[in-house]
Amino acid sequence: MANIEKKTLSRKTLNKSFHHWFYGHLTVFSQEHMQTFGYLTSMLPIVEELYDNKEDQEKAMKTYTAFFNTEPQLGTVIVGITASLEEARASQGIDDGEVDDATINGLRAGLMGPIAGIGDSLVVGTLIPVILGIALGMSSGGSPLGAIFYIIVWNLLGYFGMRFAYFKGYELGDKAVGILIGAQGKAIRKAIATIGGMVVGGVAATWVTVKTSFKLTNGSGKSYLVLQNQLDSVYPGLLTALFIVLCWWLMAKKNISPIRVMLILVVVALVGVLVGFFNPGLTY
Amino acid sequence: MTISWIQASILGIFASLSSMPGMAGSTIGNYTLGRPLVGGLVCGLVLGDLKTGIAAGVAMQLVYIALVTPGGTVSADLRAVSYIGIPLAMVAIHAQGLAATSGNAADLAKSMGTLVGTVGTVLFYGTATMNLVWQHIGWRAVEKGEFKKLYAVDWGYPWISHLFFSFIPTVLMTHFGSSAVHALRTALPMDGIPMKTLFTVGALLPCVGIAILLKQIVEGPIDFIPFFVGFTFAASLKLNLVSVTVISLIFAMIFYKLDMAISTNRQPILNGSNDTITDDEEEEDI
Repeated sequence: MANIEKKTLSRKTLNKSFHHWFYGHLTVFSQEHMQTFGYLTSMLPIVEELYDNKEDQEKAMKTYTAFFNTEPQLGTVIVGITASLEEARASQGIDDGEVDDATINGLRAGLMGPIAGIGDSLVVGTLIPVILGIALGMSSGGSPLGAIFYIIVWNLLGYFGMRFAYFKGYELGDKAVGILIGAQGKAIRKAIATIGGMVVGGVAATWVTVKTSFKLTNGSGKSYLVLQNQLDSVYPGLLTALFIVLCWWLMAKKNISPIRVMLILVVVALVGVLVGFFNPGLTY
Repeated sequence: MTISWIQASILGIFASLSSMPGMAGSTIGNYTLGRPLVGGLVCGLVLGDLKTGIAAGVAMQLVYIALVTPGGTVSADLRAVSYIGIPLAMVAIHAQGLAATSGNAADLAKSMGTLVGTVGTVLFYGTATMNLVWQHIGWRAVEKGEFKKLYAVDWGYPWISHLFFSFIPTVLMTHFGSSAVHALRTALPMDGIPMKTLFTVGALLPCVGIAILLKQIVEGPIDFIPFFVGFTFAASLKLNLVSVTVISLIFAMIFYKLDMAISTNRQPILNGSNDTITDDEEEEDI
């Protein structure tokens, strides 16, 4: 007979589930199952609390053996959503309601991609470079202050941000899906990509410098054309920007792997040094 | 400067904690201990020269400031950069007699780090492949319903992968690598072509990191506009990153409101025009 009583997860179990994800989402990473085992360990406390008999537990855990991989910080929201869905499935009886294996896995598969896209540009592309950028400035004289600043700020934001995502996902349940991949989700992603693009531009201009040492000198040894100055008078940082666009073009339009692009840069550097375009000007 | 077995072992433990599928989890491991800036702090403390450690860490962090690993493709292994590259770079900086915070020391660190980091991708694939064994144990546990075993699979067994692919390589390479670095000075003079090339590569490589990130957000030429606006703010107007971020927020807000306005307005307009059409038809019918 179907069990119709409403089941609610305890705060303690949700905390446990969150911490299992926070720590273990990638520890046993492989190319075949990236975050699948992290997901399993995170759902186990929830399944154990919701289902009393072994048979139902096994059935529930089977759901989470499907492949899973996303941007793990923001991806915490997905774990929160499934916690709430599992609660709904247990309340209706594991075999008797509209929430089943296909519902949960369809939702997980549907969210993985979009969340990875937002997460990579928001967390890895914007948040971390900005904190690192501030920290690098503080440490540029060899001071440990910047490193300590980064450790504290990133870990506080990372831990509490992920915690917020988990419990928000749990609270909203499947309602979160509309927000994440509907029209509003699309608008949010576009807005975030704008922030990401501008900050990455700032990071590039601040921290990357490609300079040429090419110059033309007249008979008396006085240089009348210093190429670097000419380029910078056209647009400051022009050469740096050109190299970045070149790397992007090679990877995005020519499908060349990052490692190959690095090898191409080695060749460019060698040729550049030979013809006198690049010269770091080093001596012992 | 030499690296003792004990120092090398401490670095080995940090390498195990901090790699991409690291034993400290990705927030504390990969994104904290694995960052070269933090690695510089740790290596500086372990090797007893904080200033050189931080300086080498800062230099290498620039290369990998924007390292992303979309779908598990890795172009550089940060455990190798931070806990093999930085110690060796520190030794090299001492061997070459460079000032810790000089530009030349930074370029040397960058080249050293990127060399080790690129070669270190072997360690990443090694760890991930060995983890397949533990996952296999995990699947059998799931089949039998022995779910408690999953904790050992996720948190315990991967340490064995790291013993082979993080700890031992780090210990061996930092301990013996330091004597190799000493030999480097005599073998490769600073004004020779190889060293000049290595230094130039060190300056060019950050472009790859930025480009990997751009690949995520730029699909066509128009998407480059935010990037160049940010670039111009920093390069021409000399704004710092926090200021650039603050300015970007207003653009983000405008785009968000615009998109929302378009998507919420479109439906009523369509419905409205449909209504008028049907109304007209009805009138004609009458």
